[in-house]
Amino acid sequence: MADPGGFDHSGGGAAADAAIGPAPRPFDPWPATIFVILLCLAVLFLAPTLGVLLSSIKTTREIAFGELWMFPARIYLGNFAEVIANPAVHRYFVNTFLVTVPATALSITFGVLAGYVFAKLPFKGGNLLFLAIVSGMFFPPQVILIPLFRLFNGLGLIDTLWPIIFIHTAMGIPICTLLMRNFFATVPGALREAAILEGANEWQVLTRIALPLSLPALAVLATLQFTWIWNDFLWPLIFTQSDEKRTIMLGIVNLKGQYSVAWGVQGALSLIASLPTLIVFLFFQRYFIKGMTMGAVKG
Amino acid sequence: MADVRLDGVAKAFGSVQVINDLNLAVDDGELLVFVGPSGCGKSTMLRMISGLEDVTRGRIMIGGRDVTHVAPSRRRVAMVFQSYALFPHMSVADNIGFGLKLARTPPAEIRRRVAEVARTLQIDPLLDRKPRQLSGGQRQRVAIGRSIIRNPEVFLFDEPLSNLDAALRIRMRLEIARLHNRLGVTMIYVTHDQTEAMTLADRIAVVNGGSIEQLGSPMELYDRPANLFVARFIGAPSMNVIPGTVTVEGGVPAIACGETRIRLSAGPVPPGTSDATLGVRPEHLSAVNKGEGDFAGRVEIVEDLGAESLVYLQTGLMADSLTMRVTAGSGLSAGDAIGVRLDPARLHLFDSRGLAIR
Repeated sequence: MADPGGFDHSGGGAAADAAIGPAPRPFDPWPATIFVILLCLAVLFLAPTLGVLLSSIKTTREIAFGELWMFPARIYLGNFAEVIANPAVHRYFVNTFLVTVPATALSITFGVLAGYVFAKLPFKGGNLLFLAIVSGMFFPPQVILIPLFRLFNGLGLIDTLWPIIFIHTAMGIPICTLLMRNFFATVPGALREAAILEGANEWQVLTRIALPLSLPALAVLATLQFTWIWNDFLWPLIFTQSDEKRTIMLGIVNLKGQYSVAWGVQGALSLIASLPTLIVFLFFQRYFIKGMTMGAVKG
Repeated sequence: MADVRLDGVAKAFGSVQVINDLNLAVDDGELLVFVGPSGCGKSTMLRMISGLEDVTRGRIMIGGRDVTHVAPSRRRVAMVFQSYALFPHMSVADNIGFGLKLARTPPAEIRRRVAEVARTLQIDPLLDRKPRQLSGGQRQRVAIGRSIIRNPEVFLFDEPLSNLDAALRIRMRLEIARLHNRLGVTMIYVTHDQTEAMTLADRIAVVNGGSIEQLGSPMELYDRPANLFVARFIGAPSMNVIPGTVTVEGGVPAIACGETRIRLSAGPVPPGTSDATLGVRPEHLSAVNKGEGDFAGRVEIVEDLGAESLVYLQTGLMADSLTMRVTAGSGLSAGDAIGVRLDPARLHLFDSRGLAIR
């Protein structure tokens, strides 16, 4: 077909290509700036972990000579061996599990039950009650620390794991209720009604319909709660006194020599102590990402 | 199998009255369709019958049993939802057998009955699939399967076809009609689509503003609408309504619409009737030569539908155009000046309150 514009398409070579190629984009400094900021933040966040990792594979002598940030000439695993062989560490682990597992399970259970009621069984004053529960998230622990200490002291529960389980359960309920209520609200009401017409009661609707659809939300909650409770330092410090009742985070602090801090051993225990939360995250990872973005888009 | 009776049923949400004093009897084995515009309360009526919604006042009887305060699962009703409401994490087989499982039916019996229902609905190859792996029509069949497996006395359908495309809707409509013929159970069906209502129903209840405007067979509603609302709602395209004034000329009543006088030959008009509305269905208008017929018109648009055409006419009767249904190949085209004849035996007259005069 004839070219009505009379343009010459036959030649022109590089000059023509340059003429029709995309115009050079002006330099945009923002991506580079954002990259540098993110890189700085990543280094900032990773540096302590790297420090712990490096100290865990060095002897106390190497660390004492100020070689903390250098890669050791020989990887020393004695710190790990010492930690693993220490019966006190076993006790810390057991205590931490005894606190974390029931407190995580209980806070999620209460959150699921409350969230379902707030989302699917509206009642007079329900919104007010929901706000009251959720507002529990905003109380700083320091405000309730002394009253709780006096309360549990009065009950004779100081230096037991019970106060820590109670408090973590109670403090986990607001976030669990908020997340589960918001998730259940996205489950279509017709599913509940269809199940009820089929003969299901509310408990069956919750356990057979709503919960199986809530795995992403449950995974998020399980990961967050487990991590928070496992890593908690404050409440075990307040409510436990003897070494027999200490949890792992206090155990890390307690692992020090008489005249010096055993950095290498502490580093090794820190890494070992973070393994359960890492395992929980990896276990729920598939649902976790889905859960964190849920509600962002329909469907 | 059971009949359904609603005695003085009313429903209010707070201060908003949604259903007003509803009295209705659905015969055993009948297919009754609630039809009406969005928000008229038809779905609320269905939900009250199912028990998903409490009644504010009145009594609901199913099979002679007062179920007003009986739990939904004990009313022996099954419901098919507009959204299908299939459980997304369960397979088709588990969806269909869900109610039986809750009732602690032995697994072998569940498997047998699920297979039987699946065969009936021709979804047996899909039993292991999840709902997301099904098309809209297949999902609807699964929803129907879930409802029929428990042998309910009454089936409730809440706009079950509105999420399907036009072709599938016609096919599924036919399947629901077949299902009704085969099972012979009472069915109550809600739709806003009057075509669906006309084709499926033994009787139609036209609902408006929480009340039933008219209850009757499809043709009864079509031929003898009780009021303007029903006249306009039933029939596609809807009835032409022409405002006018009733006069009597030489003892014969007529209606003056603009400059045009149309004689009303059939039946007397009650004395004192003045402002009135003339109703005429598109198929009861016919095109004649210019200067002949009851009034003149100019063709504005012709819509060819294949077997027939819809002709939109500008007339001196009113500002809006009139719709005329003609057979295909009428030769009419936009701009044609024609005469229009009314079928005098098929005219409808409504008084100033919109009620049918005859």
